[in-house]
Amino acid sequence: MELDAFSRFARTYQKGEIIFSEYEPGDTFYLIQSGRVQLVKIIGNIEKILDILQPSEMFGEMAILEDSPRSATAIALDPVKVLEFNRANFEVLMMGNPQIALKLLKLFTKRIYDQKRRFMILTLEDPQAKVADVFLMLDETQPNIDKTTDQREFKTTVEDIAHWAGMNADQTRDILNHFVNQRRVEIFPDRIVVKNINDFQRFVNSRRKKT
Amino acid sequence: MPKPLQYRAGSVIYFQGDVADKIYILQSGKISLNYQDIETGQDIHDSVQAGEFFGVKSALGRYPREETALVLQDATVIAFTVSEFEQFAISNSRIILKMLKVFSNQLRRIHKQVSNLMQNEEQQNPEQGLFRIGEYYLKNRQYAQAKYVFGRYLTYYPAGKLAMQAAKNLEIAESSLARYGEGKGPAPIPESESRAGGGLSGTGPAAPAAAGGSGSALSAVAKAYYDAVSLLTQEKIPQAFSMFKKIVEMNQEPEYVAKSIYELGRCLYLMGKYDECIKHFTAMISTYPRHPELSNALYFMGQSYEKKGDKDRASTFYKKILAMVPDEDDAAHIKAKKALKLLEA
Repeated sequence: MELDAFSRFARTYQKGEIIFSEYEPGDTFYLIQSGRVQLVKIIGNIEKILDILQPSEMFGEMAILEDSPRSATAIALDPVKVLEFNRANFEVLMMGNPQIALKLLKLFTKRIYDQKRRFMILTLEDPQAKVADVFLMLDETQPNIDKTTDQREFKTTVEDIAHWAGMNADQTRDILNHFVNQRRVEIFPDRIVVKNINDFQRFVNSRRKKT
Repeated sequence: MPKPLQYRAGSVIYFQGDVADKIYILQSGKISLNYQDIETGQDIHDSVQAGEFFGVKSALGRYPREETALVLQDATVIAFTVSEFEQFAISNSRIILKMLKVFSNQLRRIHKQVSNLMQNEEQQNPEQGLFRIGEYYLKNRQYAQAKYVFGRYLTYYPAGKLAMQAAKNLEIAESSLARYGEGKGPAPIPESESRAGGGLSGTGPAAPAAAGGSGSALSAVAKAYYDAVSLLTQEKIPQAFSMFKKIVEMNQEPEYVAKSIYELGRCLYLMGKYDECIKHFTAMISTYPRHPELSNALYFMGQSYEKKGDKDRASTFYKKILAMVPDEDDAAHIKAKKALKLLEA
């Protein structure tokens, strides 16, 4: 890629160094040139790894859109070299580098989809349906999941589910326990098993608004 | 090659839920995109304008079509595969830019809708949130990360509700890092354990309680020191310099005097006063031969010599650091090694 002209935007980080922290105000976004960057979020009392990004991937892109605080913490997993951009030099970068622009376009389509899916969970009124729909979303988005039977196993925790459902952990735990009593779900320390994903699908469909 | 396709009124180009990799431009005719509003379930019909793309997001993102594309009047469309579209877009960066703007508006809108519906942690105000992240890292003895987060807190909220506690935690992180090293030592801020057990995942605001109770409020000198550090992180170097100088001249709390002396040297370097920086750190090292920032001081001396064009001296200083801090994973060691490598290149 023709990025030599952008060397003045280069920044380097040591292994383990924070690039930005969740909740920090941010007006910059990054393109990784070398090394890997880990995106993490503190959910409950656990540091949850959201993603591990490779060279030529971008992060912090929401800063181009609005002045919202960072939604995750970015940590250098190796010695990392990035190019750092802001809204002011964004257009110049995109016009001069359609490859990067295309990459960002794809990233936006993914983000829009993820957010829409999340919105679908949150708009359900029934809290039980919300929790069930979180499992449906995980089932749709986890690529390496065994789909040969109706049973699904998710490497997830109550806190995670609560986070996605936009509910607090106590209420989520109550609902999950209710599902356990109904024998629809089993909870283990490191995973949650849904006995019949199609049953959850029917349940959620019946709770979604129709006109 | 993208090809033109004819569709009769009443036909469907694709159905909601289809998985397909085609992207279309409407040339002539009338097409409607039909879908349901997520929130209300209401049916929505958006008409496509001539010259407009459709089917872009689901094709690029490889997810199911979110709408049904229904032909209202006989239409001609041009169909691209994803790779044809990519080639076309790369030679027309204006088109990508235009799409970026459309998508970013959509993303902003949906993002706002989502955050409006979030009830708990997402709603936490950013000031408290940032503090809580710092606490998490400190509790888990990730001192360097705690240091970063509390440092940022003090930069953004120097007069914030939790500033005193943040400054105190920053200091704990710094001293634990120096004394025990990353990931080692006793777990800091044990008083927050009880709080974490109680309600961090609950709905109530968790953090502010700690500030008063522990009885170790920050002294005026300490506060001045962190104000100065905050100025430094905002790159207000001369202001930071004069504040550190004041702390040294008042000579009240030895710990902060020593810290400020180090920061003064750093300011001199940042202001480009390399001779003064070297002189300053030389004096510091003879007064405090075991200063916790010794290796950093040597590093800035090396950097100063480098700026002055004296590569030999610079390299002597970097080598001194390597000998002093043999641990290859230590930040000081890495920094010095890198500087040395650059020097030799």
